[in-house]
Amino acid sequence: MATSTVSSIPLSLSDRLTAGIIALLIGGFLVFGAGLANSAVLHDTAHDTRHSYGFPCH
Amino acid sequence: MIVRTLLAAIVAGLIAGVFMTGAQELRVVPLILHAEEFEGEAPAAGEQPAAQPGTADPAAANHEQHSSLKAVSPIGALLDALSPITPAYAHEGEHEEGGIMFGMSRFSGTLIANLVTGSGFALLLAGVSLVIGYPITLRNGALWGACGWLAVHMLPAIGLPPELPGFPAAELGDRQVWWLATVALSAVGLYLLVLREEIVAKIIGLVLIAAPHVYGAPQPSDISSNVPAVLGAEFAVVALATTLAFWIVLGVVSGFINDRFAKA
Repeated sequence: MATSTVSSIPLSLSDRLTAGIIALLIGGFLVFGAGLANSAVLHDTAHDTRHSYGFPCH
Repeated sequence: MIVRTLLAAIVAGLIAGVFMTGAQELRVVPLILHAEEFEGEAPAAGEQPAAQPGTADPAAANHEQHSSLKAVSPIGALLDALSPITPAYAHEGEHEEGGIMFGMSRFSGTLIANLVTGSGFALLLAGVSLVIGYPITLRNGALWGACGWLAVHMLPAIGLPPELPGFPAAELGDRQVWWLATVALSAVGLYLLVLREEIVAKIIGLVLIAAPHVYGAPQPSDISSNVPAVLGAEFAVVALATTLAFWIVLGVVSGFINDRFAKA
């Protein structure tokens, strides 16, 4: 079943899962850093972005 | 090929991030700046008797409090942002105490944060697509984007609406935990609801989506605020509308890049 649904992505199942998990980890890290990290510098730099994305802020 | 897949997502995220910055500067940032004017009038400055708008040192002290998130009152703690002078200008060179990275302007900080956030969401979307085995294409890109918006913005906003500076809010850590849990539950719930055929899966999906709202988001005990309610209402609508546009752009561009380049 899995192979038929991935026909338009030229990756084997294990490659696909590896790529997917790497993407989730890097993506989560970036979003956490920009949106949620409890750092003064990150908070102030991303202040307007955090508010407009509706991240819990302050 | 893994690298190419990841690069495709990052490019889509950067494009959507640039788009989002334009949309924010047009509609969202003016409301934030407007709200910060009222925020400065906050009477809750009891714990900061030294606060004198216009002088550098109290501003820095307030700023530290604002940033270290220990303030008792979110209104009184935000005095650093009370004037058109942004933290970038007020605290240039004092990176350890907050302020915008590398002394950039407020706009540059927002642009970079949008690029990072855009890439992050693009990678998360691509990651979900890869793990569950449903490719993002030009045809279904808008739907992918809409589901991302539902999971990350619309559904969490039911409990924690996008807030302006100076709005009353519950403890930050509680809200972040609730927000993260809601995003995760909503994403899994949407997957079960949208992509699974079984009726039981759809019901479980609905239950997962509803669960955090039945539990309830952390709410502030005191909801008084100097920021006019009209601004807050406008801001909530504008924030949700711009993030919806962002996600649709992100989904469509991701699909386009996948169709054109990633599978070549």
